[in-house]
Amino acid sequence: MRRTRPTRGRRGSLRGSPQARLRVGFVLIAMVLSVFGGRLVQLQGVDPGSYAAMAAAEGTTEVLLPARRGDILDRNGEPLANSVDGLMVVADPKLTADKAPEIATFLARRLDVDYARTLERLREPGSRFEYLARQVPSTLADDVVSEARERGYDGILTRRDPVREYPAGDVAANLVGALGTPDPEEGDQPLVGLELAFHHWLAGKDGSARYAVGGGNKLPLGDNVEVAPVDGKDLVTTLDRELQWYAQRVLRQTVQSSRAESGFAVVLDSRTGDILTLADHPTFDANAPELAKKEDRVSRALGDVYEPGSVEKVLTAAALIDAGKVTARTRITVPPLLQRQDSPIGDWFDHGEIKLTLAGVIAKSSNIGTVLAADNFEPGQLRDYLVDFGLGAKTGIGAPGESGGILPSGAMWTDQTEDRIAFGQALSVNAVQMAAAVNTIANGGVRVDPNLIKGTAELADGTEVGTDTATRRRVVSEDAARQTMKMMERVIDPDAGVAPGAAVPGYRVAGKTGTAQRAVDGGYHGFTVSFAGFAPADDPRFTVYVVVQDPGNGGGGGSVAGPAFSKIMGYALRRYGVPPTGTRPSRLPVEW
Amino acid sequence: MSTTSSAAAQIRSRVPRLAEAAVERARLTVVPARRVRAARVPFVTLVTVLLLGGVVGLLLFNTQMQQASFAATALEKQAGDLAARQQTLTMEIERLRDPQTIAQRATRLGMVVPAAPAFLDLDTGAVEGDPLPAGPEGRLPINPGPPALPAALNPAPEVVTVEAPPEGVLAEDRGNGGRNSGDTARGDGRGGDGGGRNAQESQQSQDSRQNQQNQQNQQQARR
Repeated sequence: MRRTRPTRGRRGSLRGSPQARLRVGFVLIAMVLSVFGGRLVQLQGVDPGSYAAMAAAEGTTEVLLPARRGDILDRNGEPLANSVDGLMVVADPKLTADKAPEIATFLARRLDVDYARTLERLREPGSRFEYLARQVPSTLADDVVSEARERGYDGILTRRDPVREYPAGDVAANLVGALGTPDPEEGDQPLVGLELAFHHWLAGKDGSARYAVGGGNKLPLGDNVEVAPVDGKDLVTTLDRELQWYAQRVLRQTVQSSRAESGFAVVLDSRTGDILTLADHPTFDANAPELAKKEDRVSRALGDVYEPGSVEKVLTAAALIDAGKVTARTRITVPPLLQRQDSPIGDWFDHGEIKLTLAGVIAKSSNIGTVLAADNFEPGQLRDYLVDFGLGAKTGIGAPGESGGILPSGAMWTDQTEDRIAFGQALSVNAVQMAAAVNTIANGGVRVDPNLIKGTAELADGTEVGTDTATRRRVVSEDAARQTMKMMERVIDPDAGVAPGAAVPGYRVAGKTGTAQRAVDGGYHGFTVSFAGFAPADDPRFTVYVVVQDPGNGGGGGSVAGPAFSKIMGYALRRYGVPPTGTRPSRLPVEW
Repeated sequence: MSTTSSAAAQIRSRVPRLAEAAVERARLTVVPARRVRAARVPFVTLVTVLLLGGVVGLLLFNTQMQQASFAATALEKQAGDLAARQQTLTMEIERLRDPQTIAQRATRLGMVVPAAPAFLDLDTGAVEGDPLPAGPEGRLPINPGPPALPAALNPAPEVVTVEAPPEGVLAEDRGNGGRNSGDTARGDGRGGDGGGRNAQESQQSQDSRQNQQNQQNQQQARR
């Protein structure tokens, strides 16, 4: 022990005195602790939130739970528009640039994209995100991406990109409308039609889920917050897809063969006012709306107002009979030309002085006869009837872009105007309005609101539309409606009438032709030819109205629109299994 | 201590042994503390087992949950894939059910839209309507025509205004066009080809001329 003491002493001298050592030690410890303290203040005092968030974000993912957009269906549940899960294929050019040609070849073959453009995008310098293909069905996109990975192509990724599918293409496209390419941030971009008008009804509300993940799997006891998505509601229309398709094809044939500018056709269920068909031509493929002209993407049947022409004589006649001024057999002497205050009124056919009954006036479509009969109205009476028939006011069926037409009022309603309105000029209507007005005759004098939506649906402004909100009102008496129907039957008669081409073999058909001068930019240019009618005449099931704008072949309502009416009506009667009533058609005298 | 106890013994010995047994019985003595020694091994074993069981159980439970989570992820992916597959197939069905597709296939098989239906009354056996075979008149062009030429190949027609032909004079009488006449100047129905084309003859011919010109332009462009 004694021997070791001196060595200890020597070591001790090396370490210095214990007090000095302690002091140095304390200073060191204090320095380290103050660094920790400073860091603590920095973390907890200065900006505690962001670090907490960073810690939470590490290993936590947030995913969007997309709401499903509601389908647009026809009356039988057939889809006019439905949503499909889709993906977009995107590239990270930083990873793809090296193998760009191979990847472009592969993608061009599998995804049907343009090789040159894809190659350019795969090589985009400085970019880390390039679209390669949008709205690819998800199975295909997944297959392609996994195959790309197997081949060793890195940097090909997918993102959600819902696809809106219109299985029937152009069927009811002008009505249903279309969605544009979805915006990655804002989602669906409705362009036109019901897609636009009922966007809020269809869209639903996206949900989200946030949970902790480890190695791609949800951690069972980790943070887990989920907000369930609210799916959009389906929109059920009253359309009949098959009938709509057939009407569109007939209409296309009619418009093309008569070298017309455009055309539209309406089919109403006479009893309920359901719009079974609202066909437009030209139309477009809803799956590729960007290829169509903008004016072809809207519904002309609702937006294009026009002067209805002689079809309106039916309303005048029904109103006259209801007012007790005339009957179907009232005798009218029709002069060759009728001199009125400011201008002469003529007929479409040359004649001397002829003696027609009111039925004959309708059957032969005499302007002069109609004006003479309409002279029996009290002032303003015709206008009241026309308002009751629904002219001059929007039908409110829910489709966007409807134009209400013009029914002159107040100072604009002069005697001269009334004369011309009596035979369908100097006022403007849309096709659905006019079809509903004629349907009033078919429905025994009771006007039912036309409907496009089955049940109820809500527009963006909260208005509820649909069959549940439709109203009915009596416009003319049942007897007036029946007499008008009988007069309209004479129009189809090969001997008495002007439109034998509108007949449907085996059935009693009541109808009326219309050939009106067409107002374009303040002047008259070309014609609007039309045919409206219903069948079976004595127990109507359907009201069909066909309008063709500006036919280039010189045809009139009977020769252009009549045959189209006959085809569409025949198809509807057959499709719904409506048997002929088997009664004899009306034999009202047309002359006296 | 030793002195006192010996003193007590002396006293005891000195005291006459009166009812010695009773005294002996009445004397209280301190009961020696009983130390019960429970067996240690079972307790330690129990605690160890509990502890180990708990830890292992927890571990197993955790592993089980992780396994379930893996399975859930895999199944979710599978469900997603199958749902996507179903959607794709539904889409295909809908495309095949499209009225246009069906009509095209039917037309290829030579089918036409029947003209007039006939009804068979099952009660009486009577036939309503004419049961005739559907003829070629039910044929309907269902395919769209060729797409329009692009604007470069289909220039707007050059409109050359010419003097109205003499028959235009006839139209004057009838108040040609214009808001004033406001009547259905053209024939309803048969009038289209029949008598009613006087008023619009000039316009009509101009129209058709334009059309012809247009067609010529197109033909030239195609050439």
